[in-house]
Amino acid sequence: MVLDLVVSGLTAGSLYGLVAVGFNILYRPTKVFNFAQGDLVMLGAMGAALLMARAHWHWTFALLAACAAVGALAWIEERVAVTTVLARSSSGTAWIITTLAVSMIIANLVGKLLGAEPIIVPAPWPLSTDALPIAGASVSSYQLALIALALVLVVAIERMYRSLWGKAALAVAEDRDAALLRGIDPAAISRWSWALGGAFAALTGYMAAPVLSASTTLGGALLLKGFAAAAIGGLGSNRGALIAGWIIGLTEASAALLLSPGYQNAVMLLVVLTVLLVRPGGIVSSLEARTV
Amino acid sequence: MDQTPALNPTTPPAAAHATAWHRHAALGWTLLLVALALPLAAPGTFTLFLATQAGAMMLVAIGLNVLTGYAGLVSLGHGALVALGSYTTALLMVDAHWSFWSAALAGMAVASVSGLVMALPALRLSSWYFALVTLTFSQVVTDLAVEWRGLTHGFSGVVGIPPPSIAGRPLTPAEVYVTVALCVVLAFIVVRRLVASRFGRSMVAARDNPLAASASGISLWRIKLFAFFVSALLAGLAGAFFAVQKTVITPEDFGTDFSIFFLLMIVVGGLGRLWGPVVGTLIFFLLPELLGPLQSWRVLVYGVALLTLMLYAPHGVAGMTLWRRWRAAAPPRDAPAARDLDPPRAALALHIDAIAKQFDGVVALECCSLVAQPGATHALVGPNGSGKTTTLNVVSGFIAADSGRVRLGDHDLAGRPAHAIARLGVGRTFQTPKLLGEMSVLDNVRLGGAAAERATALEVALGLPRSARDARDGTAAALQLLRFVGLDARADDAAGALPHGQQRLVEIARALASRPSLLLLDEPAAGLSMDELDRLGTLIESIAARGTTVLIVEHHLELIARISRSVTVLDRGRVLAAGTPDEVFRHPDVERAYMGREGGRPTMKRRSS
Repeated sequence: MVLDLVVSGLTAGSLYGLVAVGFNILYRPTKVFNFAQGDLVMLGAMGAALLMARAHWHWTFALLAACAAVGALAWIEERVAVTTVLARSSSGTAWIITTLAVSMIIANLVGKLLGAEPIIVPAPWPLSTDALPIAGASVSSYQLALIALALVLVVAIERMYRSLWGKAALAVAEDRDAALLRGIDPAAISRWSWALGGAFAALTGYMAAPVLSASTTLGGALLLKGFAAAAIGGLGSNRGALIAGWIIGLTEASAALLLSPGYQNAVMLLVVLTVLLVRPGGIVSSLEARTV
Repeated sequence: MDQTPALNPTTPPAAAHATAWHRHAALGWTLLLVALALPLAAPGTFTLFLATQAGAMMLVAIGLNVLTGYAGLVSLGHGALVALGSYTTALLMVDAHWSFWSAALAGMAVASVSGLVMALPALRLSSWYFALVTLTFSQVVTDLAVEWRGLTHGFSGVVGIPPPSIAGRPLTPAEVYVTVALCVVLAFIVVRRLVASRFGRSMVAARDNPLAASASGISLWRIKLFAFFVSALLAGLAGAFFAVQKTVITPEDFGTDFSIFFLLMIVVGGLGRLWGPVVGTLIFFLLPELLGPLQSWRVLVYGVALLTLMLYAPHGVAGMTLWRRWRAAAPPRDAPAARDLDPPRAALALHIDAIAKQFDGVVALECCSLVAQPGATHALVGPNGSGKTTTLNVVSGFIAADSGRVRLGDHDLAGRPAHAIARLGVGRTFQTPKLLGEMSVLDNVRLGGAAAERATALEVALGLPRSARDARDGTAAALQLLRFVGLDARADDAAGALPHGQQRLVEIARALASRPSLLLLDEPAAGLSMDELDRLGTLIESIAARGTTVLIVEHHLELIARISRSVTVLDRGRVLAAGTPDEVFRHPDVERAYMGREGGRPTMKRRSS
C-alpha cells in the first residue's frame, strides 16, 4: 500500500518536475513563463499517440516526429506571441496574455480536431504498465523506468548548461546586454531555447501518455502542476524542479488517499503558498532572488 | 479640442472654457442616463435579464481593469472571486435566511479576504507568479464548490435564490436592474476618482516603472494589494447580483473560461482605460448574437481575439486614437500663485560610515565613508566602476550594503527598503531618467509628492474635502516645481515626448516634490548641452541654498568645481581623497587615478557599476 503510494506519487511527481524543467529552459533567456507549456506537453502526447495508434509508426519515430513538430511550434510561438510584445515593452506583462491565448488556441483546435476521447498509449517494449509481481503492490516496470529516466534527463539538462551553448544561454539570462557585447546573439539563444523547450515538452508528453493517457485535458492540469513544481523548486533550478515535483506528487497521492481526489489542487495550492511565503525564491536558490 | 472662444467679451477665456466643460459633462451624463434607461423600455423580460447580467459583469470588469489595466497584475482567477461572492450570498440567503443586503456585504468580505490570503505571497514576486496562483485558485474554488457538498450543495448547486427585498417587499426585475445599474455608475465614479488620485498614479508607476515608484516613496506591495482589494470587492458584489439574477448557481457557472472571459472583456475594451471595461462588456454582450453559429468555437474565438488584440491593438477599443477628439479637455487651471519653493522638511546631514558591498565576490565598494552637510552640495567622483552609483543605491535603499552605516540626521537608513527611505526624506534621480512616458509631466511630478498627500482611499472614493485639497495643493506644488526647473509650459505634455535634457529636469522636479532633506543626483549632466549644463548648475545651487543636502555623482569636473562645497573621490571602492574641490583635484593620488596621469598607465578600470 505504502509502496504503491510512493511509486505513483514519484511517477506523477517526475512528470511535474519535467514540465517545470521545460518552463526553466524557456524562462532563462526570455524571462517569459510560457502559459502554453502544458498544451505543448499535451500536443507531444497526442501527436505521438496518434502516430502510433492510427499510423502504426514505431515509437522511436513517433517520438522524434512529435519532438520536432512541437519544437517548431514553440519556435513559432516565440516569434509571434513573445518577441513582438517584448519588443514593445520589455518589462510589460502582455506576454502572459499572449501565451495564454496560444494555449487556448492549441487546446481548442486539438479538441475540435481530435475529440475529447483520451487515447490509450501502450508503454514501449519491453516495458509494461501491468503490475509487477511484487508482494501485493501494483507497481509497473514503466513507472520505475519513468522515474529513472526523469532523473537521467535532469542530469543531462544540467550537463548541457555546462557546454558552450549552455553557458551562452546562462550569460543571456544573467545580463542580455553584456552577453551581446561578448558576441552572443540573445535573440538566437532565446529562439533555440524555445525550440528545445518545446521538444522537451513533447518528450515529457510522450512519457506521460502511458500513465495518464493522451487527452486534451492534460495541458491545463500539467500547466498548474508544472508551475507549482517550478515555484517550489526555485525558478531556474532543474534539480529543485524535480525534487519539488516529487514533493507535489507524493503530497497529492497522500491527499487523494486521506481526503478525496477532489482536494488535490487545494492541497497543492496550500503547499505553493506556504513555500512562497516562507521561501519566496523556492527551496533551491534561484534566479528570482538575484533580480532584487 | 475644447478651446471655444469666449462667448461673452467680458468673460475671461478660462471661465468660458469652464462653462463649456460643464456643458460637455452635463451632456455626457444625460446621454448615459438615457442609455441606462433603455433596457427598462425594452419589451419582454429577456432584455432586462441580459442587461442585469451585463451590469454585474461590468462591475467585475471595472474592478479587474484597476488590477490588470492600471496596476499591471494579470488575474486569471477573477471568476473564482465572483464565485465566492455568489456562493456566500446565495448560501446565506437560502440556508441562513439572511437579507440580500447583509448577505451581499458578507459575499464581498469573503471574496476580498480569501482573495487577499491567496494573493499575498505571490504579490511580492514576479507578475506571472500572481497570474498562475490566481489560475490555480480558480481551479481550487470550483473543485471545492463540487467537493464540499455539506456546505455548497455540491454539483447541483444552490437553487431557489430569492430576489433582494426592501422592507419585506421583493424587488421586481426592473428594480434589481436599476440597483445594479446604480452600483455600476457608482463603481465607475469611484474608480475614476481613484485613478486620478495618487493611488492611480502609484499603480501606473508600479506597473511601468517600479524603480521610479520606490524612489517616490511608494510601497509596491501595498499599492498592488490595494488594487487587488478594490477589484476583489467589486467581484464579490458582482457575485451577489449574479446569484439573485440567475436564481440558480452551480459550480459549472464559474469555470476557468469564466475568468478568462473577464480578461478578454477588458483587453477588448482597453487595458488601463477608464471606459475600457464598459466598452468591452457591451461588445461582449452584443457579440454572441453575431457569433450564433460559431457558439461551439467560442473559446477558440476568444483565444484568437486575445492574441490578435494584444499584438495589434494593445490599448483596445477605448484606446483607439479616433476617440481622442471626444475626450473632454481637462478643467481649466489657474496659473500657480507665484510663491517661493518650499524648503526641505528638515535640514539634515548625511553620514556614510564605512559601507561595503560585494556582488557575487566582485567588490563594488570596499569602504566608503563621507559626510555631506545640509544646505551644501557634496560631489562623489571617480572612474567608472569605482562604486559611485553603488553608493547612491545603498543610501537610497535599492541595494543593501554588506556592512557599514548610513545616517540621515538621526535616522539610521541601513536595512530599510527604498520606499521607506524615500519617505524619510531622500529624493533621487537615475542615470537614465525614469519617467512614466505616457503620463503627463505634471502627473510625473505629482507622483513624487504622493507620500505627502493625506487623503485616504475612502476619502478619495467619496470625494471628501481632503482629497480635493490634496489635488489642489499637489497640483500647485507640482506646477511650482515645474516653474522652478523652467518647464511649467509643458506641464500637460506626455513626459515621454520631452527631449532627454528636459526629462532630467522633470525627474529632478519629481525628486523635489516630497520636499526631501537629501537629494541624490546620478550623473545629471550626462548628455546635456552647454546651455542646459549651465542652467543645471544654477538649479542645483539654488536647491542647496534652500537647505537641501545634495549628493551628486558626476564626471563633469567643471560643474563639480562650480557647485560643490566638498568632494569625495572613489577609486576601486575606496576613498582616495576628500576635501574641497580645490584640495581634491590637486591631490597627486587623484591626478594619478582619475586623470590617468603619470607614467602613462591609466588605472581607470572599466567595469559597469
